[in-house]
Amino acid sequence: MARLAEEWFAICAGCEITILDIGEPLIDLLKQVTIVHMPVLMDHKLYGQTGENAEMEIPEAEIGIITGGIRTEEHRKLAHEMRKKCKTLIAMGTCACSGGIPALANLYTTADLQEKVFRGSVSTDSGGTPDVEVPVLTEKVLAISEEVPVDIQLPGCPTTPETVAAALTALLNGEPFSLPTKSVCDECPCTREKKAVSTLKRRLEAPEFTPGRPLSEMRCLMEQGFLCLGPATRAGCGGSQGTPRCIRAYTTCEGCFGPLSEKANPMVDMMGALSSIGLDPKQIPDRAATFNRFAGAGGRLRPLPVRK
Amino acid sequence: MSDSFEPLIVAFCCNWCSYAGADLAGVSRLQYPPNARIVRVMCSGMVHPNLVMDAFTRGADGVLVCGCHIGDCHYLDGNCKAQRRCDALTLMLQDFALEEERFRLAWVSASEGPQFAQLMTEFTEQIRQLGPSPYRTTAGV
Repeated sequence: MARLAEEWFAICAGCEITILDIGEPLIDLLKQVTIVHMPVLMDHKLYGQTGENAEMEIPEAEIGIITGGIRTEEHRKLAHEMRKKCKTLIAMGTCACSGGIPALANLYTTADLQEKVFRGSVSTDSGGTPDVEVPVLTEKVLAISEEVPVDIQLPGCPTTPETVAAALTALLNGEPFSLPTKSVCDECPCTREKKAVSTLKRRLEAPEFTPGRPLSEMRCLMEQGFLCLGPATRAGCGGSQGTPRCIRAYTTCEGCFGPLSEKANPMVDMMGALSSIGLDPKQIPDRAATFNRFAGAGGRLRPLPVRK
Repeated sequence: MSDSFEPLIVAFCCNWCSYAGADLAGVSRLQYPPNARIVRVMCSGMVHPNLVMDAFTRGADGVLVCGCHIGDCHYLDGNCKAQRRCDALTLMLQDFALEEERFRLAWVSASEGPQFAQLMTEFTEQIRQLGPSPYRTTAGV
């Protein structure tokens, strides 16, 4: 029986729901694992059940799962503790892999953020930054792999239940597991003619397609003028169906599977993709955040330098 | 800090004009700061924006692309392509939170040794004023 420890950091808990979403295969998986630590499911305290310990402790486990990026010093400590106690560490979800939505905060300094949240916004009563019994924020949102080595990355917002099940099954059977290295465009069935038919459109406008007809008859959404992050996003969201999830819903890729590789830079890839079909990147508002929507960690987003 | 800061500059020079210009500056024994690492490329038009951004994200403080003067390109219009790419690069520099002045596109012909030396002196000084690139720490340079 393999032991499983799970910890959540800066996250919305969508990834935990994905585990539940595995459906019937989950019953078989659960027969092979004992969950020893999982804040969302069970009452296992970090400082001992009555708070008797001075240091945070996570029980030893064969499989460790971390969801969410590192936003506080507590997360940082826990990431090291998880790494120490778990034989295999899985970073699950885009937040854990490349920062995700919380990492958009990396466009600002932590001081600026706190100023805005606790004093600057009009709907807030001004007050001090809480500093009693809350962990200190890190200077930026970090992906797990920026702090500790990670064995398996499962990107996606949320990741697909199939991917989670496949990764866990592979681990339990001692088989290798790897992610696709293709881009969403490689799995997209839409027709491409390498030339945009329109200037950039707002995303609320409706794309042209015939309902009921196969997706392969729809013109590439980017060529129709809708900003699609497909060229710079890792494939795999379609699961066994192949076709990317958002494309199936006739809407553009949001980039939730993160960059093509840890070193890839979606900004450069997107600029290339846009200009190669003749769309003007200047028209895109807030380019840095748009292109790095799910990939702000890893130094991809940072505050703009202050001019002297 | 500013005393010990030596800018790290990557200069892409085209084989036909600028690299020969740099060579001329060398054989004429002209003095100019040794901060630039020259990469010889066949044409300024082949310097993809990815190469420039790669240099920046890996910790270069400045990037220079040198080509033949407009109209002199060995491949007829390679330098015009480089010029068009310049616009996209300016946008990308903003998005990468870098000052636009860290990148420069310049024309240097094979006979312009002194101009090359002067360009290097000016650009190095400009980067020195701007200070180290914010990517230096993450790139571990």
